[in-house]
Amino acid sequence: MSPPTINGFTEIPISYTSSSTHYIYARAHTSSTKAPTNSWPSGRTMFLVNVPPDATERDLILLFKPYGTVEKVTFDSGSTLDDSNADEESEYEGDEEIDEPQDAEAEPEDQPRKRRKPPKVFPLPFPSLRTLRKTGQLAHVVFLDSSSLDRFFSASHTKPRPWSLSPEEPSGLAHYTALYDSLRPPLDAVRQHANTAMDLYEFELAKSKRQSKYKKGEAIVDEDGFTLVTRGGAYGQTVGGGVSVATKKFQETGETSERNKKRPVKEKTSFYAFQKAEKQRNDLLQLKKNWELDKAKVEKLKASRKFKPY
Amino acid sequence: MTAELKRKRGESSTSRKLRKVSPAVNEDPTPFVVSEAESDAENDGGVGLDEEEWQGVAQEEHSSVKKSTKPTGEEIRAIKDASNLFRSSTFKLQIDALLPNVQPKSKRKPPLERFLLSLHTHLSRLPDIPAKHPLEAARGLLKNGVSVPYSAPLPTEDTQWKVAFSKPSDITLVGSWANKTSVKGHDGTTYGVDLAVEMPSSIFQEKDYLNGRFFHKKAFYLATIAAAIANPKSGLNVNVSYLSTNDDPRLTKLVLEPKLDGSQTDFTKLNARVYIIPTLSPQSPLSLHRLSPAHANIRVASEGDSDDSSKLPSPLYNTALLTSLTPKSYLLSIHAIQQNVPAFNDALSLIRVWANQRGYGESGAGGVSVRGFDSKGPWWTALLVLLILGEEPTSAGKGLGKAKRKPLGRGLSSYQLFRAVLDFLAKHDFENEATFVKADEGHRYTPDEYQSNHEVVFVESSSTVNLLAGVPLGSMKLLSGDAQKTLEILNSSTNGSVTVDPFPEVFLQDHRDLQTRFDAVVHVDLSTVKSRKPNIHLTLDSGSASNAVLNSLSSMLCQGLGNRIKSLAILHPSSSPRLLSQAHPSTSHTIHIGLVYNTEHAFRQVDHGPPATETDTTVIERFRDFWGDKAELRRFKDGSIVESVVWDVQTIDEKAHVPTRILKHILQRHFNISGEAVHTWQTSFDGLVRLPESVSRYYVGSGLSMGTKGALGAFDGLVKAIKALSNDENLLPLSVMNISAASDSLRYTSVFSPVPLPSSIASVLPSNARYVYPIDFVIEFEKSASWPDDLKAIQKVKLAFLERIAMGLMKNDPALKAGVVVGNGLADSDILDVARLEVVNAEGWAFSGRVWHDREATLLDRIINNTSGLPHVAAKKSKEARQGKEYHDAIRARESYTRLFVHSPQHHRAIAKLCHQFPAFAGSVRLAKRWFASHWLLRGHISEEVIELLCAQFFVSDGWDVEVDDERDALNRTAVPGSKERGFASLIRFLKEWKWENGLFVPLYGSSALVSKQPKAVTAASTGVWRVQTRMDEEGAIWTMHGPDAVVARRVQALAQATWKCLQDMETSGKGSVMSIFDHPTEDYNVVIKLNPTVIPRYHQNVVLDESNLSKYHKNDANSLARPGFDLLNICTRICRCHTYQDTFRIFHDYFGGDRFGIVWDPSLKEPRPFRVIGAFSFCSSAESREPESATKKGKDKDMVVLNDQGVLGEIERLGRGIVSGIIVQI
Repeated sequence: MSPPTINGFTEIPISYTSSSTHYIYARAHTSSTKAPTNSWPSGRTMFLVNVPPDATERDLILLFKPYGTVEKVTFDSGSTLDDSNADEESEYEGDEEIDEPQDAEAEPEDQPRKRRKPPKVFPLPFPSLRTLRKTGQLAHVVFLDSSSLDRFFSASHTKPRPWSLSPEEPSGLAHYTALYDSLRPPLDAVRQHANTAMDLYEFELAKSKRQSKYKKGEAIVDEDGFTLVTRGGAYGQTVGGGVSVATKKFQETGETSERNKKRPVKEKTSFYAFQKAEKQRNDLLQLKKNWELDKAKVEKLKASRKFKPY
Repeated sequence: MTAELKRKRGESSTSRKLRKVSPAVNEDPTPFVVSEAESDAENDGGVGLDEEEWQGVAQEEHSSVKKSTKPTGEEIRAIKDASNLFRSSTFKLQIDALLPNVQPKSKRKPPLERFLLSLHTHLSRLPDIPAKHPLEAARGLLKNGVSVPYSAPLPTEDTQWKVAFSKPSDITLVGSWANKTSVKGHDGTTYGVDLAVEMPSSIFQEKDYLNGRFFHKKAFYLATIAAAIANPKSGLNVNVSYLSTNDDPRLTKLVLEPKLDGSQTDFTKLNARVYIIPTLSPQSPLSLHRLSPAHANIRVASEGDSDDSSKLPSPLYNTALLTSLTPKSYLLSIHAIQQNVPAFNDALSLIRVWANQRGYGESGAGGVSVRGFDSKGPWWTALLVLLILGEEPTSAGKGLGKAKRKPLGRGLSSYQLFRAVLDFLAKHDFENEATFVKADEGHRYTPDEYQSNHEVVFVESSSTVNLLAGVPLGSMKLLSGDAQKTLEILNSSTNGSVTVDPFPEVFLQDHRDLQTRFDAVVHVDLSTVKSRKPNIHLTLDSGSASNAVLNSLSSMLCQGLGNRIKSLAILHPSSSPRLLSQAHPSTSHTIHIGLVYNTEHAFRQVDHGPPATETDTTVIERFRDFWGDKAELRRFKDGSIVESVVWDVQTIDEKAHVPTRILKHILQRHFNISGEAVHTWQTSFDGLVRLPESVSRYYVGSGLSMGTKGALGAFDGLVKAIKALSNDENLLPLSVMNISAASDSLRYTSVFSPVPLPSSIASVLPSNARYVYPIDFVIEFEKSASWPDDLKAIQKVKLAFLERIAMGLMKNDPALKAGVVVGNGLADSDILDVARLEVVNAEGWAFSGRVWHDREATLLDRIINNTSGLPHVAAKKSKEARQGKEYHDAIRARESYTRLFVHSPQHHRAIAKLCHQFPAFAGSVRLAKRWFASHWLLRGHISEEVIELLCAQFFVSDGWDVEVDDERDALNRTAVPGSKERGFASLIRFLKEWKWENGLFVPLYGSSALVSKQPKAVTAASTGVWRVQTRMDEEGAIWTMHGPDAVVARRVQALAQATWKCLQDMETSGKGSVMSIFDHPTEDYNVVIKLNPTVIPRYHQNVVLDESNLSKYHKNDANSLARPGFDLLNICTRICRCHTYQDTFRIFHDYFGGDRFGIVWDPSLKEPRPFRVIGAFSFCSSAESREPESATKKGKDKDMVVLNDQGVLGEIERLGRGIVSGIIVQI
């Protein structure tokens, strides 16, 4: 019997306890056009849906061990809003691993990555902790070789397999206690982390300045002798050395100051007798209209038996 | 050319004429143009049609089409009147809608009229009964099952005078029914049709005013009529019973209620009762000059009394007698006024409805009403008459020299008259000023006579009766306060941007509940009452023993409480009809005493009496006699030696009990009512916001400074220490500008009085009682340009700053522990402010500080609005940018920034100020928070701040913070709760009725507050439905951003309704436990998850604490020591709610040490839905739960998925290993 599939996904039942079963859905990963990187080699990558929220890399490795050696597990966020990182310093640590030139070109503003010798950020000491993700998350599992994938899909998945937690990461009460403690690292670690992080920032800043055409505080004169004039921004973002010449309002809206504008000629509203009469009449009508409105409102309340005091 | 010109003018002139003649409506001139063209065409034909005629036709057409839009002169007048003479035209319309509902329906009247006619003939045909000895006569009637309601002093065998009956000399319909001023009563009480039966003068003698002889004769007369009507042969198919006004047997009348038989005279549908009131003819031989309030007319020499007692005036007795003379004269005088004042009836109806809604009137079964207002119909009428006719100038009296009231205009509208009455009630000093309605011939008795014998004096013009005789002063003060409250509501029509319609509040809402009205409600069982000094004369004067007790009780309590209270009211069920066989009214044994505190004085601990040097020994005697063993001679700091009463107070809670303690003391001393018979709920409410004794006992002896005061002291110390650090340039590059607190522990509103956790105590406490709540504060550094201009870097700099501070603090004070918290446990974006400084000082107080850097807001706004720092680079509003992670992170960060750094400190300051100004505020908030928490809503769904705001609405009014003169101040404070119980009850009542769509405006920040002109931040879509606006927060969403959503809001309403009912039941029955309103019903949850109480760090704060769980694991578990703010349950539930299972279920739990939490699945997940890769919930194929028939449609169902609830529960069990002790699936 072929394993139950749904929408092309193979259902992998996993029993948590005797009474509750979780289902992971698996499919071979196919590289779509949108795939940002080649980190998931098609052919030996499996795409998982509905991974348990507290699953760790080790847990999944344990789960797929019978089919072959797992090279890598990547968790994806289920929604756009969601986090992508386990701990907040991961982007610094991760930077070291991803090859640089490609990445930097892909997203130049997002993270300051163009650097020659970036100072290394001292990571905050994080013990290996489970990361609780959003439920129903996705994951990619990369096997070492493609035969494991075939072996997996040809296997029967009708019998639930027990979900075994890797013992390295604490779970339950111990997890929360460990989490609490890990959020309060020793002070010197914090200092080192903050200092190195700032060094990195300074480095990035300096680098971006170097690359920038404009240097702060220097007037830029082109070969024709014209000086570039820009608006001075606040704090450090000013480029170039000019002074501002136009108002903010003009730059934003393209409108000149109000001085030159002609005021619209005011129409006299109660000059002619007929205007007065009309006004009076309209006032009366308005009065009546409001009265009718009020009446309707009270009628509505009346209909809901609002006016029975007791 | 000229022709053309002319034509033009002609055209315009016609059109103008047209407009004049038919002042039509349409601004659009096309109709005229068209008609012009038509008429032109006809003119061209040379027909010479008469323009006027044509217009006439047009006008007719016009009016038929747009009839409704063209106001006639009459209509305009009506509309103008409505808005000028009434509060607003809506108000007028509402009044018009209300009035028919409280007046008897005229189409139901004919049966009554037929009945009255037959009653009249029956009464006039009654045979005479010759004079008999009263007891003998009574025995005769008793055979027919009718006992004679003789009043005390009862006739004896040796009385010399005789009772007789002869047919009434006159039968008149009197009172409100005759004047058509009847107003429906509360609780379905009936309309009263008063029938005055005038007893013939022949049966009375001149001396009958003495010793109740008149009342005996009257009683016999009434009993005879009763027997005659009750007799089946009479043909009047009615139930007959006695009814004694105010339970005074002297004021007994007959009540005739129709039996439902569908006959011609059956007026059941009218919902009315006929009262037969025997009256005295003005020509009777009784001499009126003997009946002034100062005359002594009860001359029963009681044993042991001196002659003096027989000379004591009998004001109530005299009033009761005079009342028999009044009905007809009222009828005439009211009728005369009605002719002159068109709005009289409507105004009277409004007043009566207003009064009924506040319990000044008869109550139905089970209800209570304010003492003294039983059958006070004539008084309400007289009140209006007073305003219309003006006040009689009295030369005597304490109100001398004050300009007397001028009569009001007769053309006033009903609303204006109503307001005038309220104004009179609110401003009149009933205690000191007697009121005499202007009478043509002046008043018969002098004001002095009234004033020295009655507590409150209000004398009507057509009679000599003090209409307020026997009404306790406290009741009048309560009425006064209610009038003030109503005037305030009417005056403040608009509150901020939320417009409030005052009409429902004034007329439609029932305000009779005790809890929101009184600061303390005391339930007293009178069955054991025994006056210390029984006063026979008072008993005789009051008509019955119970009336005498209540009268003296009220005045004694007022005397004892003095200026501690604004008013004191005795509430009890109003008198009810009794069987004819029962001669005397039975009085209920339980009464409620309601106190309204004067918060300035209420909790004073010392009462001063006369100084020891007082020469008049009787003054000291009296003081000692009044207070008993509580009175003692004390020497005070200023050297004076004064008789005084001191109320010892141990805790803050006890201080709030001083007024009720005084009350209990007086009841015990003077009325022999023991402590068990007096019941209040205060103590049980106190217990809800206190730590259990097994925990608090460690603190009592420790000598630590605790509570908010201790917290404030510790905080000040920390502020000083941090500021001292900034002096050292090397340590902190920027100096600390400001440190502002933002924690309820520092503003008196934390549910539990904050306590530190020093290691000495922590080591002895069980591990599940070692929770210490960190106190939040915000550090603001001086502005500097050296901050990085990048959000991520700013967070790092914050870490560096906090690290420096922590190091510095620890260096300066080795006993202090400081650390830096680098995250909040949830994987968050790196631009969110999460870095915190955590400090635990030597005493064990924990603090948690954040750094405020205002540049963050600008940077975040740039991301949100997608503008760069350079404005000349045009902003590109692309849709894609709005969906990126960066954008969403920025939205979240901005929102948390606004809340943490802008609103939180501001809110803190305002609330702290409020707590200083209003002593009951903090207590109300604490109870309210406890209530929300115990119903599993606090924090998770409802923020603490919004609860503070909701409670604040009962205390603040516009401009509360502005210094005002005393009078205004006093006026402002009438509606302000004076005890936490009342504040809490007010909140529950509010929640029960709140339509949150309309929002709420709380003038917390006073009128003087500067509104910060902050650019409106773009915020994430709010899930909360409540809108609580303040001047600082026009949106009203800052504290309700994350809930309650519509489901939870409805649940709050349901819970409030249940709680309110519970409170009411408790109050009326005097039984029940406060705990029942804090007991959370769990049956509505899909799953309830039980937790192991021994591991929950704040289990000791649980509402229903199991002490045995506290004692377990008492061993020193170093692991859980010193983890300030480690709140396991809150961490778990926050992870579940905000993160992991955000879209799967809603989680509910008790913030204060709850040992269970509840889950409600998102119902939409139970429906099979197509398989999607991004499901955001744990699902399984719906085929799993396949039913037999669906197997056939497998192809269709195959790709459908449903929530895998068992799987999720399995996950929860795993995630909560060590904490979760059981999962109960309920639905």
